Amino acid sequence: MMAAASQALLAPLVLSVASLALMMQIAFRRHSYTSWVITCLTLVLSMVALVPMSKLVPLQVTPLLISDQYSLFFSLLILFATLITALLAKDYLQHRAGENEEFYLLLLLSSLGGLILVSATHLASFLLGLELLGVALYALIAYPERGHLPLEAAIKYLILSGAASGILLFGFALIYAALGTLSFVGIGQQLTQLELAADRQLLVLIGTSMVFTGIGFKLSLVPFHMWTPDVYHGAPSPVTGFLSTVSKGAIFAALMRLFIDAQLYHYQGLMIALSVIAIASMLAGNLLALQQSNLKRLLAYSSIAHLGYLIIALVVYGALRQPQMAVEAAGFYITAYIVTSLAAFALLSMLSSDVRDSVLGNDAEVDDIDHIRGLFWRQPILALMLTIAMLSLAGIPLTIGFIGKFYLFAVGIKGSLWWLLAALVIGSGIGIYYYLRVVFAMSMKPQDSDQVLVVPAKLTLAAKLVICILIFTMLYLGVLPQPLMEYLGTVTV
Amino acid sequence: MILPNLILVLLVGGALAWWSERFDSSWPRLVALLVVLADLSYLLSSLTTVPLENFALVPVAADPASWLMSYQLNWIPRFGIRFELAMDGLSLVLIVLTLVLGAIAIVSSWTEDNQRQGFFQANILWTLAGVVGVFLAMDLFLFFLFWEVMLVPMYLLIAIWGHEGKAHASMKFFIFTQFSGLLMLVAIVVLAILQQQASGIWSFSYFDLLNTSMDSTVAGWLMLGFFIAFVVKLPGFPFHTWLPDAHTQAPTAGSVILAGILLKTGAYGLIRFTVPLFPEAALEFAPIAMMLGVAGIIYGAVLAFGQSDFKRLVAYSSVSHMGFVLLGVFAWNALALQGAVMQMVAHGFSTAALFMIAGALQQRMHTRDMNQMGGLWQQMPRMGAVALFFVLASLGMPGLGNFVAEFLVLLGLFQVNPWMTVVAALGLITAAIYSLIMMQRAFYGKPDDSRRLTDFGSLEMTAMAVMIIALVWLGMYPQPVLDLVQPVIDSLAVEVPLVAERGVSVGAVQ
Amino acid sequence: MLQTVWLIPLLPFLSAVLLMVTAGRMPRPLVAMLGAGSVGLSAVVVLLFGMQFMQAPEPYTLTLWSWMRVGDFAPQFSFYIDQLTLVMMAVITGVGFLIHLYSTEFMEEDSDYSRYFAYMNMFVAAMLILVMADNLLLLFLGWEGVGVCSYLLVGFWYKDPANGAASRKAFVVTRVGDTAMALGLLLLFTELGTLQIQPMLDAANNTWVSGDTLPALAALLLLGGAVGKSAQLPLHTWLPDAMAGPTPVSALIHAATMVTAGVYLIARTHGLFLLAPDVLLLVALIGLVTLLLAAFTALNQHDIKRILAYSTISQIGYMFLALGVGAWSSGIFHLMTHAFFKALLFLGAGAVIHCLHHEHNIFKMGGLRSRLPVAFWSFLIGSAALAALPFTSGFFSKDPILISAFEYHGSIAGIGPWLWVGGLLGALLTAIYSFRLVFIVFFGEANTEPDRQPGWRMAGPLTLLCVLSLFGGWFALPLASVFPAESAHHPSMLIEGISISIPLLGVLVAWLVYYQRKVSVSRFTDSPTGNSLRQYWHSGWAMDDLYDNLLVKPFVGVSTLLRGEPVDKVYNGIVGVCQLVHRGLSESQTGKMRWYATSMVFGLIALITFLGWGI
Repeated sequence: MMAAASQALLAPLVLSVASLALMMQIAFRRHSYTSWVITCLTLVLSMVALVPMSKLVPLQVTPLLISDQYSLFFSLLILFATLITALLAKDYLQHRAGENEEFYLLLLLSSLGGLILVSATHLASFLLGLELLGVALYALIAYPERGHLPLEAAIKYLILSGAASGILLFGFALIYAALGTLSFVGIGQQLTQLELAADRQLLVLIGTSMVFTGIGFKLSLVPFHMWTPDVYHGAPSPVTGFLSTVSKGAIFAALMRLFIDAQLYHYQGLMIALSVIAIASMLAGNLLALQQSNLKRLLAYSSIAHLGYLIIALVVYGALRQPQMAVEAAGFYITAYIVTSLAAFALLSMLSSDVRDSVLGNDAEVDDIDHIRGLFWRQPILALMLTIAMLSLAGIPLTIGFIGKFYLFAVGIKGSLWWLLAALVIGSGIGIYYYLRVVFAMSMKPQDSDQVLVVPAKLTLAAKLVICILIFTMLYLGVLPQPLMEYLGTVTV
Repeated sequence: MILPNLILVLLVGGALAWWSERFDSSWPRLVALLVVLADLSYLLSSLTTVPLENFALVPVAADPASWLMSYQLNWIPRFGIRFELAMDGLSLVLIVLTLVLGAIAIVSSWTEDNQRQGFFQANILWTLAGVVGVFLAMDLFLFFLFWEVMLVPMYLLIAIWGHEGKAHASMKFFIFTQFSGLLMLVAIVVLAILQQQASGIWSFSYFDLLNTSMDSTVAGWLMLGFFIAFVVKLPGFPFHTWLPDAHTQAPTAGSVILAGILLKTGAYGLIRFTVPLFPEAALEFAPIAMMLGVAGIIYGAVLAFGQSDFKRLVAYSSVSHMGFVLLGVFAWNALALQGAVMQMVAHGFSTAALFMIAGALQQRMHTRDMNQMGGLWQQMPRMGAVALFFVLASLGMPGLGNFVAEFLVLLGLFQVNPWMTVVAALGLITAAIYSLIMMQRAFYGKPDDSRRLTDFGSLEMTAMAVMIIALVWLGMYPQPVLDLVQPVIDSLAVEVPLVAERGVSVGAVQ
Repeated sequence: MLQTVWLIPLLPFLSAVLLMVTAGRMPRPLVAMLGAGSVGLSAVVVLLFGMQFMQAPEPYTLTLWSWMRVGDFAPQFSFYIDQLTLVMMAVITGVGFLIHLYSTEFMEEDSDYSRYFAYMNMFVAAMLILVMADNLLLLFLGWEGVGVCSYLLVGFWYKDPANGAASRKAFVVTRVGDTAMALGLLLLFTELGTLQIQPMLDAANNTWVSGDTLPALAALLLLGGAVGKSAQLPLHTWLPDAMAGPTPVSALIHAATMVTAGVYLIARTHGLFLLAPDVLLLVALIGLVTLLLAAFTALNQHDIKRILAYSTISQIGYMFLALGVGAWSSGIFHLMTHAFFKALLFLGAGAVIHCLHHEHNIFKMGGLRSRLPVAFWSFLIGSAALAALPFTSGFFSKDPILISAFEYHGSIAGIGPWLWVGGLLGALLTAIYSFRLVFIVFFGEANTEPDRQPGWRMAGPLTLLCVLSLFGGWFALPLASVFPAESAHHPSMLIEGISISIPLLGVLVAWLVYYQRKVSVSRFTDSPTGNSLRQYWHSGWAMDDLYDNLLVKPFVGVSTLLRGEPVDKVYNGIVGVCQLVHRGLSESQTGKMRWYATSMVFGLIALITFLGWGI
């Protein structure tokens, strides 16, 4: 049993052990390259570890965690995103002052939190994962020690996220008070089987609202989205990418499991509330991004909209005769979103990694639309990556984003969610404008006055690797999505 | 394998043209031209393997052998999506048009001073690949994919090599077409799901979806989804406003492709998908659609007259001409449909030529403003004569293709709705008004002797000659094209009975 | 021999294509030879063809190829030749050749020599196709073809924007008629199932009875086309302006051939018009009103070509009158004689203009009788024929028209004599204005000296046309088998006498007023009413202003109003709303943490309230 349990949790274990090892290394000998190598190897190793794990699924390990196809799939995504972040971080941190070793440690810890989140079947493990992920992130955001932007972002995130976690926790407590259980399935049973007394019903109701407020904050859904642009803007680019992908992906995965296990889709009111939130997110997110010239803020708004789209998969679950398709759609969409966002942030991070002699200043970030003007003609491969990413975010065919959107259309139509679909169409229509604006800026002829332009002198091997992986994934899954679809067909909650 | 190869040649050729730039900046256009011509000759030579009697066969959904060529490959089994291509007479006509105009577009860019020739030509070839795909795809998912993808290189063509207002124009073009495309995507998916619920099997194949049963409200909405996407592309009134901007700002080759080919995908979609998939809904909607067609004819013509920008004028004339296509499709009888197809081909040539002339003028004079032209015949008699020819073609001079098209449309329409025909026929008068004023402002009038302008060279004249011959041929002996298209119309008639040919209106005219 | 009929339009067509393709690189003598020679050759073929045809005068059909075929709609590219066609072909190629020959000298100094002949040849080819077509669609091809050539030739001297305006006006105004005609074709095909003229007429006879609505409608629509092309009311306004083209063009297109296409069309489809007696009466009335209006206007012009233009409108009015009253062959006969004497007059005018430094104003001429004898005799003979003085060709063709009008028994009883009176008034005016021209230009004081004399290539055609104008009316046209039998004319001597004497009276008046100057019209013309009437007539009854205000200005106004694309306002509005919302939402991103936290709390409260609603 013990052996099986540890095999089933091999990847988190690898991460934990590696974190300890890394800590030791830092304590004894600071050497950022070594730390980086250890981190990358760990991440690769944990991905490999998923293979033996898959032999045992599904296996409930303690009441807190489960190892199943669902958790494995999202673990893979998280590890993949972390690996990309780590690859990017090296170049990004290289010329920035300070000691970088802890960055990797925090990264590992944070992704460990993600892994726990996606396997959580219990509110306790849910919270554990959430906090592990979050606390490490605060530090990551503030990691560059100079410049006030990261610091400001970190503090904002810390305080607001703390408040959100508090609300979430209090929500858990209320639910526990009303139902006497914290396990997802238990909550579901209690909710469906018992005729609740009015006061307990009120407790559940307030508790649920608080839980969704907390999660809504983390996923930056309207109206809990206010922090997003500021934090995205302030955080160093690789971290923003991490925040945007790992954090949101893991939390969404956990939310979906909670949603399904606890059978929340039976509650009409909650569904309507979620739909309203989704519609608001799609519209507000896209409208906010409309004329945004800072790319990180633009991507922040865009992520608000994309999470709004994603909620469709959640809401539709109860309306489908074969609800598995909703999970499939969510899985595909998250994959698309993660890969595509990574590509966008990878570009920003690569451009920002070598700003030593530019007009922008040593620790500056390349994140304005003006900064990438004419990129097509100087770094075509980078521009190509961002173009594909933008087209993918906009949902243009041949990219992974299109298939994702296609999935959402398919489930949305199957579930007859016409209002959500309308918002999806309108939101996508608006989205085309600002995504294309980015492409257009890159395609413009560079002018002499654009001395601001920064070009990485030379792409490092890691950067090239990242570019290749991301472009390949975005296109391959956009053209031949069948393997992933087939796989997702087996991923059940 | 012939059909996918047709697309593949263009795709790979695009990359090749781009790559060839590193040797010499004049190579890409040569490579591009050769690729298109090779593709064309490949198509024509492989046609010889098709038995001659097949050209007269009515294509039947169930029987791949009744199509000129077809190709199938499983692609995304999860949703029953297949890489399914098929060619009938209609597709063949349009693909030949695409490749010929593609070659001409490349020629038109020959003397234009475009930076980064490699990427430029690559985008042209990729657009062509997308268009060919649109004309071949028989799986709705695949169709949608080509439909959207062909816009990206076109967008780049406008956005990178366009004129002063390219940012706005390219954006508008893309948003209009994409947004309407999304509506079509929803409609496609709904249709597939309805079919899946009925049969239990996912499929996006045109043939499987043809006889999906649904109630009339749903059919109406779905039809509208397709209709809007196609009418935006056509472009039909009142969704046409992207077109003048896009045409005006696009580089010459872009305008040629846009006007000559891209607009035809909308018309093709109407004929191939909108009506056959939703026969009752489409016929119920036909009066409104025809009204839009008539409105487009008149509105486009009136606005064309008001323009002082050469390209804008031609662009609005396209709106007017494509109104006839809309009319022809929704009149839905053999005459009108043949007319619509003929209009697609003839308008492709005549407008492409006019845009080439506009481009040549812009390149020589650095303006499109006709107020600054005048008397150009003096300096460029060859260009003037050619312009005159195409102006006459576009105003519907009998003996040229456009006349055959418009007359057939009107003839078919008259049997369905005589009053609308009367209004549409006003388009013949307005066409004369705006076409001749263009000729007057640009080529007639007092020449400015201080200008030094070079006339068309032999390369340009060759391209023009091709189009002139094509239009004369279409005008004097259009039968080969009609014969190619007739089986397609017969096959459509199996799906959707054609509107009665004669004797409908004995009372109606009185 | 009959099979070679396709050569007739092909020769000038090929020559035109050749001239266009070589685009002025051919030496001038070669251009002249090609241009005039091809038409001459065609004329020879017509002659040979005619001689053989008349031996066994049966309608002859030659199909070249099937033009297009969609279901029942299968127009052929084929020719149908009967006596009517033959007359038209003879006029077109015969008079056409003379005018081409004349042009070789007239246009000699023009830099666009070969372009001129290309257009002219193209015109002849199109005109031949028009008359030879066996179906209405092919006829329409020729119909539009001549329209385009007319447009090109009117605007031949393109550097002057006024010429461009005139040519556009010519094309657009006739296009209005053409569109009506096209609609007529649509109606005829829809109802009768064919556009081939003879079968169509048979079908019409079998399907419809006289007086039905549909044949009337169809005839009316065809009439629209005819009215446009033949410059009859209300679409006549383009012809005077069309005089902007070179004078031989006016002679060929705007006098002898194209403008009579409408007459030909009605004559060709007379079977249809017979089914619509009301429309036929309308034809007569249009003819009558037009001939009077145009005659009054011609009286007040001082541009030599405009006088002739209005005179042409007026004479075609006679032809319409003839068709309307059922005098089919008289109409065609007048068409032919008119082609002779009007071509003569135009060419004569051309000679005057050519030798007088491009002077058009008749009041600046004068006394040219001895200085330009060729032109004088041309004018004298031409005017005599135009005025229908006895024993000229014009007399033989116009007189039967007036008699037929007198004897007309159509839908409205007793209208015949009125038509006759109108026609006579017109004849009087014709005589006055044509001899006014002769007296002013060729007699009296000399104002301008000619700087040259016409050479043989101009004088030759003039002489030949003089002969034709004098004697062209002495033989009868073999049209009896084409048209329904006309009632034999037995006019009383009185009627006949009046018809003959009226033109003489007109000449007398002109002689008194413009030569002897015994009678002065200045007292009348200087009075306020007289003056305004003169102005009114001079402007052609102010029809141009009417159309300008009624159609042109509104159209231009609307297009100016719309040119900014109002539809776009809607889309811009959507964009505007998006931007507004964007700005509003962006305002909410203040960067202040306390506000962010507050918004979160508000969200929570809203969530609780919403979820609590149900309980």
